Amino acid sequence: MAELVKLFVNGQEVEVESGKNLIDALRVVGIEIPHFCYHPALGADGNCRMCLVGIEDGRPPLVPACKTPVQEGMKVLLDAEHIKKIQRDVLEFELINHPVDCPVCDQAGECALQDYYMNYSLDDSRMQVAQVTKGKRMDFGCGVVHDQERCVLCGRCVRFTRQITKTGELGIVNRTDAARVSIFPGKPLNNRYALNIVDICPVGAMTSSDFRFRQRVWFLKKDPGICHGCSKGCAIYIDHHREKYKDDVIYRYRARTNLNVNGYFICDDGRLSYAGENENRQTSALADGAVIGFDEGIELVRERLDRARKPLMLISPDCSLEQMWAVQRIATLYGAELSGYSDNYIIDGDGDEYLINDDKAANRRGLELLEIDFSRAQFLTGLQHTDLLVNFNNDLFFGGVDEELKSLLDKTQSIAVCSHQLQVYESASIVLPTASYSEYGGTIINEDNVLQRFEKALFKNEDPKDVLEITRLLGGAINDAPHAWPGIKQSVACLADIDPQAIPAEGIKLQNSEDTNVGA
Amino acid sequence: MSDRSELLSTGEPFAFDAERDAEFERLIVRYPIRESMIMPALWMAQEQQGWISTEAIEYIAERIGTFPAKVFELATFYTMYQLKPAGQYHICVCRTLSCWLRDKQAIVDYLAEEIGIRPGQISEDGRFSLEEVECLGHCGTAPVVQVNGEFHEEMDLEKFKALLATLE
Amino acid sequence: MEVKILSAKFDIEDAHLIAVAKDHGAYQTLDKLFSMSPEDVINEVKESGLRGRGGAGFPAGVKWSFLPKDLDKPTYLAVNSDESEPATFKDRYILVKDPHLLIEGIIICCYAINCHDAYIYIRGEYTSQVKALQRAIDEAYEAGYLGESVGGHDFRLDVTVHRGAGAYVCGEETALLESIEGKKGQPRSKPPFPAVVGLYDCPTIINNVQTIASLPFIIQEGADAYKAHGTEKSSGTHLFGISGHVEKPGMYELPLGLPLMEVLDRVAGGVWKGRKLKGVIPGGSSTPVLTPEEAKTVSLDYESMAEHKTMFGSGGIVVLDETVDIVKLVENLIHFYHHESCGQCTPCREGLGWMLKIVKKIIAGEGSMADIDLLVELCDNIEMKTVCVLSAACTMPVRSYLNKFRDEFEAYVTDAAS
Repeated sequence: MAELVKLFVNGQEVEVESGKNLIDALRVVGIEIPHFCYHPALGADGNCRMCLVGIEDGRPPLVPACKTPVQEGMKVLLDAEHIKKIQRDVLEFELINHPVDCPVCDQAGECALQDYYMNYSLDDSRMQVAQVTKGKRMDFGCGVVHDQERCVLCGRCVRFTRQITKTGELGIVNRTDAARVSIFPGKPLNNRYALNIVDICPVGAMTSSDFRFRQRVWFLKKDPGICHGCSKGCAIYIDHHREKYKDDVIYRYRARTNLNVNGYFICDDGRLSYAGENENRQTSALADGAVIGFDEGIELVRERLDRARKPLMLISPDCSLEQMWAVQRIATLYGAELSGYSDNYIIDGDGDEYLINDDKAANRRGLELLEIDFSRAQFLTGLQHTDLLVNFNNDLFFGGVDEELKSLLDKTQSIAVCSHQLQVYESASIVLPTASYSEYGGTIINEDNVLQRFEKALFKNEDPKDVLEITRLLGGAINDAPHAWPGIKQSVACLADIDPQAIPAEGIKLQNSEDTNVGA
Repeated sequence: MSDRSELLSTGEPFAFDAERDAEFERLIVRYPIRESMIMPALWMAQEQQGWISTEAIEYIAERIGTFPAKVFELATFYTMYQLKPAGQYHICVCRTLSCWLRDKQAIVDYLAEEIGIRPGQISEDGRFSLEEVECLGHCGTAPVVQVNGEFHEEMDLEKFKALLATLE
Repeated sequence: MEVKILSAKFDIEDAHLIAVAKDHGAYQTLDKLFSMSPEDVINEVKESGLRGRGGAGFPAGVKWSFLPKDLDKPTYLAVNSDESEPATFKDRYILVKDPHLLIEGIIICCYAINCHDAYIYIRGEYTSQVKALQRAIDEAYEAGYLGESVGGHDFRLDVTVHRGAGAYVCGEETALLESIEGKKGQPRSKPPFPAVVGLYDCPTIINNVQTIASLPFIIQEGADAYKAHGTEKSSGTHLFGISGHVEKPGMYELPLGLPLMEVLDRVAGGVWKGRKLKGVIPGGSSTPVLTPEEAKTVSLDYESMAEHKTMFGSGGIVVLDETVDIVKLVENLIHFYHHESCGQCTPCREGLGWMLKIVKKIIAGEGSMADIDLLVELCDNIEMKTVCVLSAACTMPVRSYLNKFRDEFEAYVTDAAS
């Protein structure tokens, strides 16, 4: 815990963390200082002038809050008339050349300019001369669309490409009110994080070609989630909406701040992976290709499992810890061998030094902690000798068809419990639909050993059963995710002290326990 | 300021000639960081080519090891960098305070009438281009005109006409 | 009335050449300089009362003493030769007529602040001047006054000319540093001040050309000799630039403290063409205008200017005769400052463009009284809300015209209405 300092805001004493600037420190205690250019990940630039606050007895008496560290005894003025006037004035300058087209602007509803206008101004426009005109609908690459007229020139996007991705595609060219954000001709955005620019743009100047005009943001329900695109486990917001007479669908992911994991940003692959949650879903149970009732499917699976001499279960490395535990239990119940084979989830060289990992498995650490073997050798042997494979949502052909496995799978009776319609499940004689990660809650552990919890975000019209629930229907003893924990805690030393209900939003960094066996 | 961000391309790769290549290497050791060479390099490109093309900006960025967008920023921020070909005689008329008080407008009007060019334009034959610029720092000898960088002071209309006559 | 300290060699033929300059005393302070301690040099300059001649008038020696001691970083000197404030054209004469005086001053300053790498930031428009300056620097290197051992003493000094490219704002000292670092000339927020975190994040002193060029005299002749000129709080001489509607515009070196009108009449030949005086801009375009009445009582020093609610500024005096259309003059000024706004801070970037359009609207006969009031209000709303004072350099004089010549603005409105 950082040291605390006491200061006064509008005469009221508040206690805040030292070492922070006024914007960040006061935000924690619920005091908002309006700003455009400051972003905690990009530092204080000080150009927008929206965060000017008064300092009583200060030299100078007027300072940008973003550049002013909190100090013991400091007397900050926010609601003094002259400060409120400055906020109105600066806002007026931001708005004079800004198109008044909120009704058709994609940012409406999450626009700082709009919010501040409602909070601090509400003045009528005094701009009676021609506005400055600039470029509209400019394709900046990577799905980023730029509107120079809506831009407030806070420079966050430029700083992002220089400081975070270090790719430097953007610049603010010209000076005066002719200044504008631009790419260099022929050199559009070309990095795997570019869409964060849309998130950090405080106004409607940067929009995503993937999202724009598809949904009004005030209709969106914004639930926290964890990206399952790779073993980084970035914190995200799942923005979804159930339109009347339609199903609950996801419209976008956005970065959610988690300083333990991803900081303020996510990669574009992860961001756009929301589409996978909507598309190509397995929604009905099948027996030999024919649609059957789900309950009927469960019965069939139970029968096959009961009959099987040497069943083999395969679990996805994306499954939650609780799901893995439940599958592990049911494997024991049926005397089945269990594998978490998923070498194909690792794409060598795809990762970078930042947020993208080679390993596309969201919870490989879970497999390791539960000592679920994920070696190819064990899985191949198992597959050669089994008379029934039950695959819990493991895409063995992720990254391409594995011919060796395919020929074995073609010879093996298999059951697929799957969320998506994928080639690997085509050989299954029975298919049971299951929930994908936005449709259940649980915990996963990322490659840096951070345990994070996520909740069910989507509620589909026909809510698919998640893997854990399916194990229960197959006779397992785990009722739900919390119910898995007593066993997990007993079995995994480094989780012994975890209270799953009390995992904070930023997760828990687990101690490395060397006594944990890695898959042989 | 009007928009300067529409760059022009020559379609040909750009590189410093031998003299400027040596000048670049001679100067860069004077600065602790390479980016300090962006402005000098832009000047050199302009001297060599007469103006600064898309290719020149790319070359400079590559040579210095920085982003083209950053060199682009500087080329458009600093208004003396010519981002399009100028006339054989590039005439800059100071438009600010003291030159304005001493009737720089007579010169600008004369160029419009006689040569048919207004600020920002180039004559059809490509001989003259005109730019109105902000204070040139010769207020005591106003009005002042620069032709291809050379100063001509106390330019009343008669003296300017005489100057124009000397430009072949 | 003229006193030739800085301009002592201006009338000597070829004094820009090192041989001629040396014949007339150039570089003769060096032996004395290196016999002094750097602290003594700083004290002498402090004692002389020399104030920064760039416009702000901050005491030079005091500025130097802000440098942190015993820091494990180099110290830089950046010489501000970006004079771009309309009506200011003094430093140019030093660059062209006596560049070795500047170089000698740079040696003195660098010795005092323990700097071994100085940069001269010269405005890009000074084409022939940059050549003259570079030639002098080359000569100085050849003669051993710059380089590994300055004048044979154990002191290395490299001087590099960095050429601007058309941006008035680079005269602001932190914008100047940004520009040398290869960035857009956008002023930095202060603190930290450049004396602590300056060029390449190192302690840096930025001084104007004229300030630096004043040093050889102070070291050679002593602080007292310098203080013998000027007033108690505004010591020494200044290169005044007189332009606009006078008979004899030009650059004149004068001691500080002379009555403005006397200088205009006796030195600059009075208002031209026998016309009447309408106003005087006393210290560059950013200083509030003085009415003829006010001009009668003001003298050319920092204190008197402040008493008259204007500024000494850069000493660039502009005389306006009775024919001047103040509204159009204001348009000309706002056009300049708007054009030179670096585009960083919202109030300046957007506000100056707005003001310009309003003035154009008034001139076009489409303005209203409310527009005049709006202009006044915008001056208040923009001023001092920004990182640097460029916008204030516009709003302060514009406010003075709106206050002192409001009738001319109103006339545009009423004439259009009738």
